[in-house]
Amino acid sequence: MSPSQQPSSHNPTCLIKNRFAHRFVRALNNLNIKNRSPHDENQIYRRSHRVKIAAYAAMASVVGSKRAWSRAVLWKVRNRSRNQGLLVSSRRKRVDCKSKTSNDHHAKVSVVRRRNPNPKREDLDPFRYSGQELKLRKLVPGAATMDSCCLMDETADYIKCLAAQVEVMKTLVDFYTTT
Amino acid sequence: MSSRRSSRSRPSAPSMITDDQINDLVSKLHQLLPEIRNRCSDKVSAARVLQETCSYIKSLHREVDDLSERLSELLDNTDSTQASIIRSLLMQ
Repeated sequence: MSPSQQPSSHNPTCLIKNRFAHRFVRALNNLNIKNRSPHDENQIYRRSHRVKIAAYAAMASVVGSKRAWSRAVLWKVRNRSRNQGLLVSSRRKRVDCKSKTSNDHHAKVSVVRRRNPNPKREDLDPFRYSGQELKLRKLVPGAATMDSCCLMDETADYIKCLAAQVEVMKTLVDFYTTT
Repeated sequence: MSSRRSSRSRPSAPSMITDDQINDLVSKLHQLLPEIRNRCSDKVSAARVLQETCSYIKSLHREVDDLSERLSELLDNTDSTQASIIRSLLMQ
């Protein structure tokens, strides 16, 4: 069962797919999904959510910081994991010491949350951002504040990478279902 | 990306982008969308392209959700050594 011999050096999409496949499979390995055997819906949802985040993060890391959308995705993923770690540790501290020191820790927790490099402007100019373009800005990560040209460019790249990601994931699912 | 100046200025738009440039980019997007390509229509309005793009992105997101659900179920049932088999296959 040897993989098809594709000239990956000639086709940039092939290159992206290969790199994404590597990183995604490695991330799946690290997720330690097996031996958890969830019995309730919450566990099942969280497990599939973790796989989904791993997929988006793997694709964004393949693209790197060349694109605004990949930067936005990576920022979201890293901030999310950082906040989750902080929440866990702050909860533990609250249980251990109910004194003035816990207030200091709360202050520290609120400060560490970094300023979002891709802020979502609620007061978007209606002349510039209207109708379909607004919907597009909500769908593409990090696209809320860029101008129309960049938006189109980012959208094109985002669609290419998403389609490649979906193809690789389909291949993986097929592989697992047939073996 | 050099600075873009428009031939006709829009009253309240802070960024000056020519309509031609937007049309170029819209047609580029047009090429990437699967449905419109099959219909082989040359002149499609920008709004239509944007609409199709939005629905295409939403469908891709839904597919990713669905595939990650299936993957997580399948991974739970298989042996972890198979993941390393895949990796070695992919490395070739």
